[in-house]
Amino acid sequence: MKAPAAEYLRRLLIKTALATAVVLAPSFFASAQQIDMNVVDQPGYVPSPEEEQLSGAYEKQIVFFRSSEAPGTILIDTSQRFLYLVQPNNRAIRYGIGVGRQGFQWSGLQKISRKQEWPDWRPPPEMIERQPYLPRFMAGGPGNPLGARALYLGQTIYRIHGTNQPQTIGHAVSSGCFRLVNDDVIDLYGRVPVGTKVIIKQAVAL
Amino acid sequence: MCAESPRWGAHPVGIAYRSGALALAGVVAAILAGCASEPPPPPVAATPNVSPDALVGKWGLASYHRDTDRPRTLKEATAQCSKPYVINKGPNGGVMMYLADQPELQELVLKPGPDGKTYLGPPGDAGTADDRVVSDVEPNSFTTVWVDPDNASRYGTMVYERCGKRA
Repeated sequence: MKAPAAEYLRRLLIKTALATAVVLAPSFFASAQQIDMNVVDQPGYVPSPEEEQLSGAYEKQIVFFRSSEAPGTILIDTSQRFLYLVQPNNRAIRYGIGVGRQGFQWSGLQKISRKQEWPDWRPPPEMIERQPYLPRFMAGGPGNPLGARALYLGQTIYRIHGTNQPQTIGHAVSSGCFRLVNDDVIDLYGRVPVGTKVIIKQAVAL
Repeated sequence: MCAESPRWGAHPVGIAYRSGALALAGVVAAILAGCASEPPPPPVAATPNVSPDALVGKWGLASYHRDTDRPRTLKEATAQCSKPYVINKGPNGGVMMYLADQPELQELVLKPGPDGKTYLGPPGDAGTADDRVVSDVEPNSFTTVWVDPDNASRYGTMVYERCGKRA
């Protein structure tokens, strides 16, 4: 039988450890989450080549990817901020993306209904409310917030498009669209035809 | 073999020339001194050739970067009247508009520039960083370009098409 003092100390240590775990758990999970950015569109901003170059996980790369979806299908993982283009032999091309900010995230099944190079930009009404100095229409070109290419998703208002703000890749900033750096969206644009199946999920199981 | 050039002061004719030049310089200096004693007349303030009334109204606002996009951008601007850019007269004779990237309305005035261009911006010198150049002003449209190069590269050329056209 243990001495009362030792038993007391053992229970105190256990309680302290548990309390510490409870305190640290939220910060652990918080650090594991990507922190949303509060970013305002910068129409006309043209990033430098250095800014355009992604690094690390968000750089375009071939990854191991097991899926029941056919090669050529696009899967978007909004929680991890990746877009996968399924390839043969359990592979995928993975692109880093920016996604919709809180309140603008969605999931579903769509097809690419239209493609456009250097798309025109029409800021939505709520953006014009916040930024009344914006043009209501900006012709496509460098500096346009939609970047070099746009892939329209079904009949929705959402698109996969480029960006003039490479620093937003990996973050939740948009009004629901999915953005890639211009080099990546040009690459993707060249690989997928109109009619490509696009699956948007909060998490994609590999 | 070339002969050397005569040196000033070494030749009697050169001495005469030097004396004459000094006398002439003295006369010129006296004239200039006389001119300097009179204050220069104040510059006449030029009036801009665009009236603020020409800018007041509701406008479809659009922009482009490539000149080849101007015709279709003008058409698109006409289609933006569901979200018009409203320009009202200011309390001091100017017009109420937004500066680049600023959501608060400010009173801007039209200012003639020494280069013959018409500038639109806060009161003060023409052609400052907060100004726009106003051009192609017609009853139902006008065009602006930001003076600041960063603003200009970001916003491009901005075209305003009047909503509810004037006859």
